[in-house]
Amino acid sequence: MTAIVEVTDLTKRYGSLAAVDDASFVVREHAITGLLGRNGAGKTTLMQLITGQELATSGEIRLFGQHPLENAAVLSRTCFIKESQTYPDGFKGEHVLKVASWVFPHWDEQLARELVDEFRVPLDRRMKKLSRGQASAIGVVVGIASRAELTIFDEPYAGLDAVARQAFYDRLLADYAEHPRTIVMSTHLIDEVADLLEHVLVIDEGRLIIDAPAEELRGSATTIAGKHADVEAFSRGRDVLDADSLGAFASVTVAGLTPAERAAAAAAGLEVGPVSLQQLVIGRTRGTARQEVAS
Amino acid sequence: MDDERPIFLQVAELIENQIVDGSMPEGAQVPSINELAAFHRINPATALKGVNRLVDAGLVHKQRGIGMFVSPGARARLLGQRREAFAEQYLRPLLAEAAKLSIGPAELAEMVRQEAGSAAGPAGVVGTAPHV
Amino acid sequence: MTVVALPTAPPAPPIGRRLWNAVRLHVANPWPTLILPWFIFAAIFGLNLAIWQIISIAAGGTQNLDADAFDYNGGVTWVLFFLVAMAVQAMSLTFRFALGLGMTRRDYYVGTVAYLAGLAAMYAVGIAVLAQVERATDGWGLGGRFFAPWFLADLPAWQLWYLNAAVGLMLAMIGTVVATMWVRWKALGLYTFFGAFAVILVATGWSLTVSESWGSLGRYLTTHEPAAIVSWTLPVSLLCGLLGFAILRRATPRA
Repeated sequence: MTAIVEVTDLTKRYGSLAAVDDASFVVREHAITGLLGRNGAGKTTLMQLITGQELATSGEIRLFGQHPLENAAVLSRTCFIKESQTYPDGFKGEHVLKVASWVFPHWDEQLARELVDEFRVPLDRRMKKLSRGQASAIGVVVGIASRAELTIFDEPYAGLDAVARQAFYDRLLADYAEHPRTIVMSTHLIDEVADLLEHVLVIDEGRLIIDAPAEELRGSATTIAGKHADVEAFSRGRDVLDADSLGAFASVTVAGLTPAERAAAAAAGLEVGPVSLQQLVIGRTRGTARQEVAS
Repeated sequence: MDDERPIFLQVAELIENQIVDGSMPEGAQVPSINELAAFHRINPATALKGVNRLVDAGLVHKQRGIGMFVSPGARARLLGQRREAFAEQYLRPLLAEAAKLSIGPAELAEMVRQEAGSAAGPAGVVGTAPHV
Repeated sequence: MTVVALPTAPPAPPIGRRLWNAVRLHVANPWPTLILPWFIFAAIFGLNLAIWQIISIAAGGTQNLDADAFDYNGGVTWVLFFLVAMAVQAMSLTFRFALGLGMTRRDYYVGTVAYLAGLAAMYAVGIAVLAQVERATDGWGLGGRFFAPWFLADLPAWQLWYLNAAVGLMLAMIGTVVATMWVRWKALGLYTFFGAFAVILVATGWSLTVSESWGSLGRYLTTHEPAAIVSWTLPVSLLCGLLGFAILRRATPRA
C-alpha cells in the first residue's frame, strides 16, 4: 500500500483552541477517502495543513513522501477545491478555467467543457456575480478536470441542488474509474457519498475518532428496538452510541455486535436494524453519546 | 444498496440473482467493474471486490483483454447453494414470526398449502425474491 | 496500519514554467491591468485637453496665455497609485486563489513581483512614448503638458521612462508590504505598517533638522538629474520586496 498523505501526531492550535488535535492517519493511493465530521470539527484546517496552506503547531505531514510546505514538486500534483475559494477581482469562469489549464499538468480541457455544459455554468460572468451553486460548480469542474494525482474536495457543493450534486458524484466516479487517482472528500452530506467511499476518517473537535475502511463500518453498529425493559436488558454493558425511548418503547444504537448477538436479539423479540454511516457518525459525534436508556 | 451488509456482497448477490433467474445466461458477459460502479454509484474498488468473490467461487471467469463471463455450470451451482440456504434464510424467520403469533407448525403448513394453491403461478418458481 | 511503500515524487515542474504561471495568472483576465488603464489615461487626458481648450478659447487663443500656463499637471500620477492598488489586490485575493491552485508562496511572490515590475515598466513606456508625441505636437497644439509636465518637460525620453518605472515600482513594492502585512496580521499589521511609516518620516525629518541638512538636501535635489535622484527608490524597492516575501512566506490564506 502506498501512502499519498501521511500525517503523524499533527496538532494545530489557534490560541488555546486545538483545531486539529494530535491526528495520525494515512490516505491511501487511488482510494476515495471520506473526511467526515461536523461543521467546525477541523476538517478544513486539516486539509489546509496537508496542502501546506496552514502551518502546523506540531507533528509531521508527508505528501507524496515529502514535506508539503512550499514544495512545488508535491503541491503541483495536488488540487484542493474548497467551498470558500476566493477569486481575483473581475475574474470570470473562463479565466478560472484558463489558469487551471496552465497550472494542472494533467488538465483535460475537453472534459472541462463537457462538465461546464452539464452543470450549465456561465463562463462569461464574473465569479462574484454567480450564485453560490454556480461558483461551486466551477470549483467542481476544476477539481474533476484537473485530474490531479491528489484531489481534495472540501464541501464543494454549497448551493448545488440535489440534481447537480448527483451529477458531480456520477462524473467524479466515472472519471475516477477511468483515471484512478487519490481523492479526499470532506463532507457532512454523508448519506450521499457513503457508497463512494473506500475509507472513512471521522474528525470531531479536532480529534480523529474513526479511521476505518468503509466496508468495516457498514454493519459495525446496529439499532435494537423493542420493549423498554428488553432493550435495556440487552444493551447493558454494551457500547451504546445512541439511545431513545417513547413510552414503553425504546431504541438504542449499539456498536460491535456479532451476527450471533444480532440473531440472539432478534430471537428475543427485538427489532434489529442496520445503521447507516451517517447515523453512525452522528452517534459518534453528537456529544451526547453513551447515554443510558432513560428509565 | 442497503445499509446492513457490505456493498461488495450485495453486488455479488445482484449478479448471482441475474445468473439464477436466467437474465445472465452461462457464457454471457458480466458488466465491467466501471459499469457496475457507475450503475450502483459505488466505489470501483467495492465493485471489484464483489466480482472477485464470484471469480473466486468459479461462477465468473475473466478473459484477459475482453471481459468477464458467466462460467459454465454457474446457474446449477447457485441453485444448489440457494436450496441449501433456503431453510436458514426463509424458514427460520418464518417460524420465528409464526411462533410470535402462536401459529403452530401444522397450522403453518396448512397456510402454505392454501397460499400455494391460490397463487397464480406454479409452486417452485425460482424467484427473484430478495433473500435476506 | 503499515506503510509499505512511499511514492517516488517526480521532479517539480521547471522553475521557469512555475514562475511564468504566476505571472500569467495575473493576465488571465487582461482587462483590468493591460487594457483598462489606457482608457483611464485617455479619459483623464481628454478631460485635461477639454479644459485647456476652454481656457484658451476664453482667453482668445493660446498666444494670450502665459507660456507655462499648461505646464503643471499631475494627471499622469494616477497610474502610480493604481500600481499600489494592483499590488494590494495581488497579495490578498489573488494570493489566496494561487495557493488554492497549489502554487508555492515563493513562486507566486517572485512571479507577482516580476509582473508588477513589468506593469510599471509598461505604463512608463506608454507615458514616455506619449510624451514624445506631446513634444512633437507642441503640447497637442495647445502648449499643454500632460505626459511630461513641469520639471519633466525637457527630460530625455529614457529618463522619463526610468523615472516613472522606478517610482511606480517603489509604490507597488510599498503596496506589497502593506498588503502582505494585512494578509498575515490583519488590522494589527496595518497599524504596525502605518505606525512604522510615520515614525520613519518623523525620524528622517528630525535627523535632517538636527544635523541641519535641509539645505544640503535641497541643493542635492536641485543640482542632480532627476534620474540620479530617482535611483534612490531602487534600494527602497528592493528592501520592500524582500520584506514582503519575508512576511508572505508564512502567511496563510484565511478569509
